[in-house]
Amino acid sequence: MGMKDLRGRLTARATHDLRKRVTALEAEVQECRQLNLRLAELTDLVTDLLVPLARGDEAGTREALARYQESI
Amino acid sequence: MTRPPRRARVSSVSVTAEGIAARSRREVVLDVAFDGRRIYSFWLHRDGARQPSGTWLVPWPQAIRRFLDGTTRLTLTVHETGQVVHDADVTLGRGQGRIAVENKAGQPLSLDKSLRLVQTFDNRSEENVRPLLDAIDHVLAGLKDAGIDAFLAYGTLLGAVRNGRLIGHDSDADLGYVSRYEHPVDAIGESFRVQRALVAAGYRITRYSGLAFKVDVVESDGHVRGLDVFGGFMRDGYLHLMGEIRTPFRREWVTPLGRATLEGREFPVPADTDRFLTATYGKNWRVPDPAFHFPTPASTHRRFDGWFRGIRTGRPQWDRHYSKRRVPGDEPSELARFAAGREDPATPVVDLACGTGTDVLWFARQGTPATGVDFVRRGFEAAEELAESEGLAAGFLTCNFLELRSVVATGGLVGVDPGPRVVLARHLADNVDRRARRNAWRAARMMLQDGGRLYVEFLAQRGDGGLARRERARIRKPAMVARELRAAGARIVERETVKIPRAGRGGGSPTKICRMVATWE
Repeated sequence: MGMKDLRGRLTARATHDLRKRVTALEAEVQECRQLNLRLAELTDLVTDLLVPLARGDEAGTREALARYQESI
Repeated sequence: MTRPPRRARVSSVSVTAEGIAARSRREVVLDVAFDGRRIYSFWLHRDGARQPSGTWLVPWPQAIRRFLDGTTRLTLTVHETGQVVHDADVTLGRGQGRIAVENKAGQPLSLDKSLRLVQTFDNRSEENVRPLLDAIDHVLAGLKDAGIDAFLAYGTLLGAVRNGRLIGHDSDADLGYVSRYEHPVDAIGESFRVQRALVAAGYRITRYSGLAFKVDVVESDGHVRGLDVFGGFMRDGYLHLMGEIRTPFRREWVTPLGRATLEGREFPVPADTDRFLTATYGKNWRVPDPAFHFPTPASTHRRFDGWFRGIRTGRPQWDRHYSKRRVPGDEPSELARFAAGREDPATPVVDLACGTGTDVLWFARQGTPATGVDFVRRGFEAAEELAESEGLAAGFLTCNFLELRSVVATGGLVGVDPGPRVVLARHLADNVDRRARRNAWRAARMMLQDGGRLYVEFLAQRGDGGLARRERARIRKPAMVARELRAAGARIVERETVKIPRAGRGGGSPTKICRMVATWE
């Protein structure tokens, strides 16, 4: 095998490895992006329901939950 | 993006059962009219396939194939110049009469730019357009009250700025707004609050994603019109507007909003409509192109998908299924009988993914309080009416298993009533993806806080019966579902795989379903 062939093979392998790493990185970036919606949902839940739930009166809790559930 | 040239020479036009063929060296947009009425438009090269003869064959769009049985005067016009390149009677199929592309009520239909059958504005009279303008006003007012200054967007903005008219080949109206926030989480949170304010004010909302929703407006003739509201925000010097735009932009090109006239009425528009339309349709936005496709870069799709989307996976097929009114059946499911045979009839039942609500009504009619949960309200509408008229202890809740807050709120609302419960999940696990299943088990766990059992049934082997097709089910491995349930904290107390006997004949590969009973006690 000549030097040129060897270099070609090494470059091909490096490119292949880089492709794999880019694909994996893209998947990881996407995973991070998906946390935005989740965080927004949880923040919305807590902001809207914490106070009526913490007050502890049953009718108020039920009404707040029903109103929230219906508004989604 | 290439644009049709000013003068395209179109020749060798032929119309066959396969489609329309024509020769043109340059790309050209052609309008197709039947008996003088525009039906759709296409790009000859983009939408066609090159034939050995050198012509380009554009197949008939799927949506109108069923109408193509009879005779029509087919006119083919170069959109930009108005030059007629074909105008003659053609006969397709074996039909004797005229080809009529219309709905059951006889209203004319045409294809929009996504080749869907719709009542486009070029078929609609002024009295038909007025309700749309009223609807735009109505939704803008609702948004304003919720603290959002929205404006005409996409095709509606294009029509208003180009000639003050709705675009003939368009079928809906789009609104947009740019949030005062600059982080996706904050923009989503704002969108949730706006939705809540609109619901409280009596609007009906369907959410598309974390940053876009549809507002349904019921018109005087009962026709329900959906107006899309696309949220947007500025970030790192870019305007992001659902669902297609991400471009370098400045906030002052959007706000303070300007005004433009649409069909004789004034509406808010972005401050710099030229820049805004260039961001949407490219610098040639002034040239009409009824077959325009958004050339959205993959990176924009990736961002919007990651940040905001994924809460409607698999939904369109169910919306289509329930676009016809469906009534609950008389017979309960096998799973309902199976659970009823083991449980105290006084224990309330919750049916997750209840569909038409057949099992909910069956339980309630026997005196067992029952709640149906599904993400398509239309599915259980008839059952809800029946339950009310019969005075049954049956209720229904809408819940999207792909929205965490919907799941937690529904689980909480059911779970707040003390006592054990029976939760059914029939053909839920085999219909939805892993995320939705995880949320469904989360909801079940909340509902079974005070004890009770979850009954799960799903397709384990497809076989050659019709069950998989009927239930739109995909096979799931019992071991996988068991693993997910355990991960959600459940203990599986029973598990069996049942062969479904085939009516009429034996042999072949049997369909198998798996049943599991789980508890969080």
